[in-house]
Amino acid sequence: MQRNQIPLIDTDIHERVQYEDILNKLDEPFKHYIENCHWIQEKHMPYTQPAVAGVDRADAVLPDGRPAGSDLAFMQEQLLDDVGHKAGILTSALDPSPSSMHGWHEMAAALATAYNDWQIENWLEKDERLYGSVHIAAQDRERAIQEIKRAGSHPKMVQVLLPIDDIMWGDPYYHPIFEEAEKQSLMIGMHHNEPPVYYGRWPRYFIEWHSLIPTAHMKQVTNMIFNGVFDKFPTLGLMMIEGGFTFIPHMMWKLDQQFRDLRHEVPWLKRKPSEIMKEQVRFTTQPAEELTKQEFTSLLEQMGTDEMLCFSTDYPHWDFDSPTRALPKMDEQLTRKIFSENAKNFYPKLHAI
Amino acid sequence: MREQVVCNSTDLKPGEMMKSTFGKQSVLVCRTPDGEYYAFMNQCIHQGAPLDKGMLCGATTESSNPGKYEYCHKGEIIRCPWHGREFDIKNEGRMLANPNKKIPSFKVRVEGEQVIVYK
Repeated sequence: MQRNQIPLIDTDIHERVQYEDILNKLDEPFKHYIENCHWIQEKHMPYTQPAVAGVDRADAVLPDGRPAGSDLAFMQEQLLDDVGHKAGILTSALDPSPSSMHGWHEMAAALATAYNDWQIENWLEKDERLYGSVHIAAQDRERAIQEIKRAGSHPKMVQVLLPIDDIMWGDPYYHPIFEEAEKQSLMIGMHHNEPPVYYGRWPRYFIEWHSLIPTAHMKQVTNMIFNGVFDKFPTLGLMMIEGGFTFIPHMMWKLDQQFRDLRHEVPWLKRKPSEIMKEQVRFTTQPAEELTKQEFTSLLEQMGTDEMLCFSTDYPHWDFDSPTRALPKMDEQLTRKIFSENAKNFYPKLHAI
Repeated sequence: MREQVVCNSTDLKPGEMMKSTFGKQSVLVCRTPDGEYYAFMNQCIHQGAPLDKGMLCGATTESSNPGKYEYCHKGEIIRCPWHGREFDIKNEGRMLANPNKKIPSFKVRVEGEQVIVYK
């Protein structure tokens, strides 16, 4: 790949775990349930795999057949060294993320803890460029808070990835979690996940589900803003990962207009929703639509800021965005912001890099 | 006219593809099930993925009836290893979803056992 000329902070890279990798990090009896009872996490997606190698880039599958994203040396060769990353934020492959586990919270919490330890030991401490995301089983709130305190205090953990479930994130249920994240200088990240875009069910076709992912992100941002999360936790930030960004101007206009008419219902809002977004919400760029330079520039003008977008590749997934090809060419200052400075300014633990 | 042997005719069975070079350029040599050879630039026109890491397969074709699938052109469709975009070998490498776009192609002839790409 053509080498990037500017320092890149990639805000969405998927490392991948296999159950055997974390067995030695699991306490009993959870190790026993996997090793002897052959437990695997239930997955629901009904579609045939969307691309040549399922959800992965076909050329990212390891030569020995192991799944894409499961080997640091291969990731270094194909991504970090090849592109010339300054830093990358790991967001996992969502398995064994507990986010789709509606029962057996003890197992979900045990997996999150084992996963965080595995991530720190095998990725964050083996490549200085890599930073991590804390996984929690929010279904058990007290344990989740303890996990944020425990794993989130690691200097290279930069955010908490919250499970997407039937309790929206603005709900007071989550506020103690936000409080602990804020204490640990961690941001909150949302990476799209199984069903939530279609009335809690899957649409008929993958193309529908994948097209509508931004709506799940819009719902969560709207919910958190009007529930006052960003006013209650003024140093908390929200990174919306892999939901796209071309809907941002629409959201800003819509929420501001609604706020002007209906403010009396949410008097705890001290700022216009668009101001809250500009100050506390960021969006990763992938999967970028194919925009002309004029369309891209116009979009930034409509947002009124060039500080909300943070470049991401989504490596090693099938809809990977190339740092040199996915976005239109832009001037050096703007390139620097979108490819690096916006993420650096957003995550407190990246300020010093 | 520049020309170069890119592979031996027996290197590819019908329905297979491989990477080769033409000068400094990486080319994708494809052999369709009818035994014909084709050559294209080995880089997706979307984001530059190496096409030889993708797949030679068939495609679901246009159907006027929602919910009804037809699968044909077996072995004549190049599918990108990243975003899965489909290109029709027999139709100048045109993208199925947007036939105005195509992968740049090269001329190919076979002499004896040599597959030769030329401009």
